Amino acid sequence: MSRRIAIVEDDPDQRANYLDALTRHGYEVRGYPNRAAALTAFRARLPEMAILDIMLEDEIDGGFDLCRELRALAPHLPILFLTARDSDIDRVSGLRLDAWDYLTKPVNLQFLAVRVTSLFRIVDALKSPAAAPEVLRQGELTLEPASMAVKWRGTPLNLTLTEFWVVEALARRPGQVKTYDALMQVTRQNLIEKNSINTYIRRIRRKFQEIDPEFDGIQTVFGLGYRWQQS
Amino acid sequence: MTRHIPVAPDRLLKSIFQQPVRPFSIRTKLLLIALALLLFPWLGYRYVRETKDFVRAGQEQALLLTARAVATVLHDRPELFVRDDAAPAAIGAERHLYAYPLPQPIRVDGDPDDWGTELERLARRPADARYEFAAYDDPDSLSFQYLLGYRGNNLYLLLQVKDEAHLMLDPRARRLDAGDHLRLIVRNPDSRIDRYLLTATAPGPLAVYAVGPDWQSPLDSERVSAIGGAWRITADGYTAELRIPRYLITPPARLAFAVVDVDDPATRAIAHVVESAPGTEDEAPARVQLHSPELARILKGIARPAARTWIIDRAGRVHGVAGSLLVATPGADNPAGELRDFSDDVTQRTDPFLAAVLGGQPRAERRAALDAHGEILMAAHPVWSGEEILGAVLVEQASDAVLADQNRALENVMRAILIAFALLTVALLAFALRLTQRIRRLRDAAERAIGPDGRVRVEHIAPEAAARDELGDLSRSLSGTLGRLGQHTRYLESMPDTLAHELGNPLNVVNSSLDNLQNLGASTDAGTYIARAKNGVNRLRAILTSLTEAATLEEALRNQERTRFDLNDVVAGAVEGYRLAHPQTPFQLELPAAPLPVDGAPDTIVQALDKLVDNALDFGYPGAPIVVRLARDGGQAALSVANAGPLLPEKMRDRLFDPMVSVGKKKASQSRLGLGLYVVRLIAEYHGGASNAENRADASGVEVTMRLPLVE
Repeated sequence: MSRRIAIVEDDPDQRANYLDALTRHGYEVRGYPNRAAALTAFRARLPEMAILDIMLEDEIDGGFDLCRELRALAPHLPILFLTARDSDIDRVSGLRLDAWDYLTKPVNLQFLAVRVTSLFRIVDALKSPAAAPEVLRQGELTLEPASMAVKWRGTPLNLTLTEFWVVEALARRPGQVKTYDALMQVTRQNLIEKNSINTYIRRIRRKFQEIDPEFDGIQTVFGLGYRWQQS
Repeated sequence: MTRHIPVAPDRLLKSIFQQPVRPFSIRTKLLLIALALLLFPWLGYRYVRETKDFVRAGQEQALLLTARAVATVLHDRPELFVRDDAAPAAIGAERHLYAYPLPQPIRVDGDPDDWGTELERLARRPADARYEFAAYDDPDSLSFQYLLGYRGNNLYLLLQVKDEAHLMLDPRARRLDAGDHLRLIVRNPDSRIDRYLLTATAPGPLAVYAVGPDWQSPLDSERVSAIGGAWRITADGYTAELRIPRYLITPPARLAFAVVDVDDPATRAIAHVVESAPGTEDEAPARVQLHSPELARILKGIARPAARTWIIDRAGRVHGVAGSLLVATPGADNPAGELRDFSDDVTQRTDPFLAAVLGGQPRAERRAALDAHGEILMAAHPVWSGEEILGAVLVEQASDAVLADQNRALENVMRAILIAFALLTVALLAFALRLTQRIRRLRDAAERAIGPDGRVRVEHIAPEAAARDELGDLSRSLSGTLGRLGQHTRYLESMPDTLAHELGNPLNVVNSSLDNLQNLGASTDAGTYIARAKNGVNRLRAILTSLTEAATLEEALRNQERTRFDLNDVVAGAVEGYRLAHPQTPFQLELPAAPLPVDGAPDTIVQALDKLVDNALDFGYPGAPIVVRLARDGGQAALSVANAGPLLPEKMRDRLFDPMVSVGKKKASQSRLGLGLYVVRLIAEYHGGASNAENRADASGVEVTMRLPLVE
C-alpha cells in the first residue's frame, strides 16, 4: 500500500510537477489549490504526509494557518513546508508550528523525493523502535539517524530534517572541516548560498544553546566552513 | 508633535557664536534691522538737543524782553545817566569819585556812626584799591580815607584822617591856612573853578570860606553857608563830615578835595597837602558819579533772585546793580546757591559784547561764569534818549537753572529710549534666534529624513509639525512630500522583491518541469538541452538572488548578533577558501603580526571580502595575482584587495559604492548588477567603518579598501 501524500500549492503547474515526480516514486499524491479544499479533504481523510506552500492564493499565511489546523487534527503528522519565502521570520514561524522541515524553492525534485523517503523512514522508526538502532555518540551528543533523535547531555533537541543532516555530517567527522560545498550537498537542496549555510548553523547553535548556554560544539572556519569541536 | 527643548543660556550663546554667520542669514538681516533701531536714540538726542536750543532761544528772548522792559523805563531820562561829552573815549582813563546812596539821614557832626552800612565799603575795599591817600614823603605823618555818599539833595563826604599832631586854626591868625584844614575844588561846566576852604579853631562845626587860588584869605567876608562841615578828634587824628548841596556840582561839574596838615605850632607852615586828585588840582578834579536814587528805585522794582540787572552808561560804567545770580541747586561748593561772578562792586563792565549793544543793537549771549562752574546768559538792550544812546540795560541769568531741568529731561528721555531699545534688541535677537533655531531644526530634520543613499528614513518631520505659522506649514508640507516620496521609495524597494517573487513562480515551474523531464529518462541529446535549460534557469535564479541580496543583507544586518573576533583569523581562513575555489589565480596574503580585534559579525566580513575578491577576479587580468592586505591604520583595520587590471574611470570613483553602478565591459556569461561594492559598503557601515576604491600608486591596477574600527 502506497503512502498518501497531500500537496497544497496554488500554482497549478508546479503542483502538477511535484505530483508527477512523487507519483513516479510510487506515492499516492493528492494536490489541493487552497486551504479550504485541503482542509475539507483532510477532515475526510488524513494524509500520511503534507507538503505545504505558505502563500495560498489570496491568503498570505494560508500555509501556516493550515499547518496549525492540521496539527490539531494529527499531532504527529510529518509536515514539510515548500515555499519561495526564505526569510528567517518565515522559517522560525514554520518550525515553531512543529513542521518537520522547511524547504525553499526551487527544489530539486530528486532531492524532494529523497527527503520524503527519509521522513517516512523516520516515521517508521518512531512507530516501531528497533531493538538496537544505530546510535552515534560524540561526547555529550547522541544521534539516532533512524528516528532523527538528537540529544545533548541527555536532553532531546527538536531539529528539522535539514538541520539534523547538517549536525550529523559535522558530528560524524569531528575535528574535520566540512566545507561550504560539502554542507550544501548535505542539505540536499538545489542552489544554496553560503549565507543559507551560515543561517542553518546559527539556528542549530541557538537550539543547542537553549539547552546549554555554554555550547560551542560547532566551530567556524572562516571562509571555509565548519567543524565539530573534538572533545 | 513639537518638543520644546529648553536651551541653557551658555548653550544659547554658544549657538549664537558657533554658528557660522552667513553674510545674509536671517539672523544677520534681523540684526541689521535692529541696528537701524540705533537711529532712535540718535533721533531722541537730536530732539532733546533741538528742544534745548529752542528753550535756550526762548530764554534768551525772555531775558532780552526783560532787558527791553527795563530799558523802556530808562528811555529819554538822561538825568539818570551822567552826560559828559568831554569824557575821553577810553573807558577807565578818567578819575571819578563815587557817591553811594545813604540809607539814613546824616547829622554833620563828625561822628561817622550814622553812615551805617556804607562804612563797610571803606573796610571792604581791597588794599591796593583803597581810597587811601598819604603824604608821600612821610606817610606815617598824614593819611586819610574818604567816603562819598548822597541823600536827598546833598552830597556827604566822610574823611578819616590820620594825623600825628592835629593842629587847629589859631583864632588869632590872619591867614586861614595857619592850621589843619580841608580844601574843596569844584570845576564848573563852564571851566570856572570854585575853591572852598574848611577850617575851625576847635572840634565841632567847620567854617567854610570861598577862597582864591592862594588858599589864604577868603574872597568874601561871608562864610559859605550852603556847605556844612564838622570835625571830631579821634585817637590818631580826626574825622570830618562835609555836606555839599548837589546843585553845586551839577553834572558835568567836577569835584576834588585835599587834606592839608600843619604841624609846627610856631611857624604854622603847611607840612603836607594830600589831594584826592594828586598833583593837578586845578586841571583834573574828578567827576562825581552819583548812584542815582531814582535808578536805585527802579532797580529795586526789577530785582529778581534769579537774575541780575546792571545799568551801565556808554562808557561801560556801572550805574546800578540789582538782583542776584541764583542757581537751581545749591551744591557743597556753593551753599548759597549763588553763582560766583562779577561782584556788585564792579564799577565798570567792559565785556566786548556790550560794545555792540552800546552801538544800538539789542543782543543776547551766553558766557561762562567767572568761577568757570556755570554758564551765564546775558541779554542787553540799549537805553535811548531820542537818537542818542545813553547806556544799556544788561540782564544776567544763570542758565544752569534752566539747563538742569533740561538735562534731567534729556537723561530721562535717553534712559527710556535706551531701555526700550535694549528690550527691543533683545526681543529681536531672541526672535531671530528662535526663528533660525526653528529653521535649523527643521532643516536638520529634513536632512535626516533622507539618508545619504537617498532613501527616505522618516516620513514625518517632527519639529514644527504642530506650529500654526508658516514654518508649521512648511514642516507639514515636507512631511507630506516625504510621505509620498517614501511611498515611491518603498514601491521601488519592493520592486526587486516583487519581481523576484513574481519571476520565481514561473521559474520554479520551468525548473520542476525540467526535473521531471530529466527523470523521464530522455535521450542523450535531450539531456544536453535539458542541462543547458537548467543552466539558464540557474543564471536567472542567480540574478534574482543578487537583486534581493542587498535588501536581504540589510534586514539580516539588523538582526545580526555582534561578537568580538580577530580579523586576522577571518581573513586568513577566507583567503584559504579562495585559493581552493580559484586555483588558477595566485592570492597573496599580507597579515599584521598582532591580532586585530573587531566587534561585529564575522560572516558578513567574509561576505564583504567575497565581494571584493569577486570584483578583483572580474576586473583583474586573468591569472594576475590578487593581493589581500590587512593592516593596522591608527584605530582602524584596513582590509584591502588589489588586482592588476584596468584603472577606474575618474568620474565613477565616487559612485562605485552606490547600488546598481558597474564599470567595465560585461562578460556575456556573467550578470553584473553593480551590487557587489554596495554590499561591501553596507557591511563596512554596519561596522562603523568606510570603504573606498583607488587606483594603485603605480597605476598597475585597482585597490579597494574597507576600513573597520578596532576595539581595544
